[in-house]
Amino acid sequence: MLKYLIKRFFWMIPLLFGISLISFFIMHLAPGDITTSEASFNPKASEESRQKLRELYSLDKPVIVQYGLWVKRMATLDFGTSFASHQRPVFWQTKDKDGNITLGMIQEALPITLLINVLSLILIIGVALPLGVISALKQNQLADRAITLFVFIGFAIPGFWLALMLMYWTGVQHAWLPISGLESMGHENMTWLSRTIDTLKHLVLPVFISGLTGLAGISLFVRNGMLEVLHQDYITTARSKGLKENRVIYGHALRNALLPLITIFGLSIPGLIGGSVIAESIFAIPGMGKLFYDAVLMRDFPVIMGILTIGAVLTLIGNLLADVAYAWADPRVRRGVMQ
Amino acid sequence: MSNKPYQYCLKKLALIAIISLLIPACSDSSSNQANNQIDYTKTYPASNGGTLIDAMTGEPSGLIAMIAGESAASAIAGNIFNSLLKYDKNLDLTGELAQSWEISNNQKTITFHLKPNLKWADNQALTTDDVLFTWQKVTDEKTRTPYGSDFKLVIKAETPDANTFRVTYAAPYAPALDTWAGLHILPKHLLKDQDINTTAFARHPVGSHYYKLDSWKNGQHLKLTRNVNATQGQAKINNLLSRIIPDKAAQFLELSADNIDSMGLNPIQYARIFPARPDLNKNIALYKELGNSYTYLGFNLKRKPFDDIRVRQAINYAINKQEIIDGVLLGLGEPVASPYKPGTRWSNPALKPYPYDPAKAKTLLKEAGYEDHDGDGIVDKDGKPLNFEILTNQNKEREMTGVLIQRRLKDVGIKANIRVLEWASFLGRFIKPKEFDVVVLGWSLSLDPDQYSIWHSSQQAAGQFNFISYNNPRVDKLLEAGRLELDPEKRMKIYHEFSKILLEDSPIVFLSAGYGLSAIHKRVRGISNPAPPAGIGHNTYEWNIPSAYARTEMSEH
Repeated sequence: MLKYLIKRFFWMIPLLFGISLISFFIMHLAPGDITTSEASFNPKASEESRQKLRELYSLDKPVIVQYGLWVKRMATLDFGTSFASHQRPVFWQTKDKDGNITLGMIQEALPITLLINVLSLILIIGVALPLGVISALKQNQLADRAITLFVFIGFAIPGFWLALMLMYWTGVQHAWLPISGLESMGHENMTWLSRTIDTLKHLVLPVFISGLTGLAGISLFVRNGMLEVLHQDYITTARSKGLKENRVIYGHALRNALLPLITIFGLSIPGLIGGSVIAESIFAIPGMGKLFYDAVLMRDFPVIMGILTIGAVLTLIGNLLADVAYAWADPRVRRGVMQ
Repeated sequence: MSNKPYQYCLKKLALIAIISLLIPACSDSSSNQANNQIDYTKTYPASNGGTLIDAMTGEPSGLIAMIAGESAASAIAGNIFNSLLKYDKNLDLTGELAQSWEISNNQKTITFHLKPNLKWADNQALTTDDVLFTWQKVTDEKTRTPYGSDFKLVIKAETPDANTFRVTYAAPYAPALDTWAGLHILPKHLLKDQDINTTAFARHPVGSHYYKLDSWKNGQHLKLTRNVNATQGQAKINNLLSRIIPDKAAQFLELSADNIDSMGLNPIQYARIFPARPDLNKNIALYKELGNSYTYLGFNLKRKPFDDIRVRQAINYAINKQEIIDGVLLGLGEPVASPYKPGTRWSNPALKPYPYDPAKAKTLLKEAGYEDHDGDGIVDKDGKPLNFEILTNQNKEREMTGVLIQRRLKDVGIKANIRVLEWASFLGRFIKPKEFDVVVLGWSLSLDPDQYSIWHSSQQAAGQFNFISYNNPRVDKLLEAGRLELDPEKRMKIYHEFSKILLEDSPIVFLSAGYGLSAIHKRVRGISNPAPPAGIGHNTYEWNIPSAYARTEMSEH
């Protein structure tokens, strides 16, 4: 098992190189760079000045040389500084000689996005699991149809429209929830408890909106998994042994039906760091989605590469974890790995 | 069976789903906002205090404007830093840090005299050393600024004493004063040992204007608070809070819920939504002012048939500008006949835009040899039909403008296709290599009349701004003369003449200049309405919030 893990781990290094190389070249395939944004199309900014900026950022060098420079920096885990955001560090904070700390862009955006995504994942599991189980048990009955309809409406409804409607309803018509942002005015002066409540109130709508689309997939997945398992021989055996229905369903059927979910959760680990651009823009949440989107629009290469690299690492780790979890949960896979 | 509770839970969920779909239907129920009952029509004497909350769509990258460059940065930094000069409410230049300035007889040297006893927000003296330092920084090769070239024309900058700053140009340079009005003076004592490209000062600025930065929460808000050491006078409102809300619809909801006081509107919000919402009009006042840019249709003059002035003029007559203003801007704009703000000194009042006259357009096309010989509805010459491509970038207003133009051109027998592109490929693949027929784009209505870089025939290289390849020796001469003449009266004559030739020559079709539209809560007083040429923002330090109207939930500490 350990040998397998080490082997998998070392395989990640060439994979990462490949991913970063492809991302780097695709990024440079898009026309333009930081000096050609719409805002810089200004007669007061001369072409010579723009050329000078290109040289300062090494953008005048061939792409392969730029990639070499990037790899050299990455070898020391230096993600570099943003072109667009006054040289803010891309990943982690830096301290200058006067002791001023500049926070990293990913460092600031990541916890917010992680929090929202983890909460919405909990929401999805908490709601989708029971919905899926009920659907399976009540297959083709009213409850099943209603649940399927509901999750598909949730999946199909345009998130931005629903977000605006809910903001209007809960924020303008009734002051139940804040409309946008992460903190109310005067947040700094609140007590610890009211600060937490304030933040949670701001998170209700974003978490609900980002969870709603995930609901359909997972609940249908659970439903189909359950249906398949319920028709297996061992369920018939369990029933014929005279086990209680609850135990048959939750002890035997559900556990087996959940196995494929491990893959899904493993694959969703990289998704945890990617925020939704639309939801983050509407709710004015400075998360990863907005960060990445703005970086792409501005052709802020260090930021784009920083996010892509972290995403690639997390994807690879997620895959590895999913495989390990499989081996742990399923004796058949475990034996296969051992041999 | 133990799944009854689930069944119940499920019904509830289904109910919630249905309710959430019906929300828009119940939007007429009464609002619970207590402030709706406050009468905002009373008059109060101007008082100090309060917080003004506005919304921005983008976050500044830093507050050193020469490096940041984007409009969000200039908007915030403009409240923190001063320049030597500024534009007054009629858009004439006046002193800001400078008390006065003199221009030498040969027009090459400008001497600025600072106001006495100027101070930075940290109570240090602001002297011409700081001005000289700022000039050195903006012209430094290592500084990552796109705005250095104007200042590199200065061959000598000196400070004979702490209140005098003198710059000498190799040749008279009339836009010089405008450039000094745009350069924020930075404090030498805080920046002299710093790398201006990376300094933490960009996020912890110390300036000399009405406000200083109090706090900056990345991605959320910037809070400015009154600078008690300000030497330009004291602003009346205590705090300016700028919230970063990228989505205009979300901004509008925040405005309706009275969580922000001010936001920029688009024409639909101004002309359609507000008139339909009397509850909003009770609390919120709308303002419109001259915008800062105009939209135009520009010809690639290197391509046939646009080298023929009759074709250009014909297209100009064929386009109905009022229709564009009404259709695209919902009437919230003005036609322009020159690249200057209507009503200001540089705008030639004698010039009128080409009227909508399809008959005249057809005559001109005929003179140029274009007639519909084969009867397919499209005019042709030597067997070639007159068709071309209108290129623009992803900008809804420009796209709609293109569609209206397309239709009017069809009326006179010209076939035009529209192509919309993302900005970077638009610029890189079409504008720079001049691979286009006609573009719909915008230029700013510049405050200084010098537009050498846009119209002079020497500015046609790839990446320069005369990408339409305009080449008119008379215009070249006027633009050169205008740069050498520092006397405003003589300069005005030069640019009136320039505008007249530009209009006749029709290298571009001036389409429209949209208004700047904003909504501001009625608790904010002291706003000039109607707006002077400089816009409502010219006197923000006089804006005030009577204490009876100030927000209660804000704790001022």
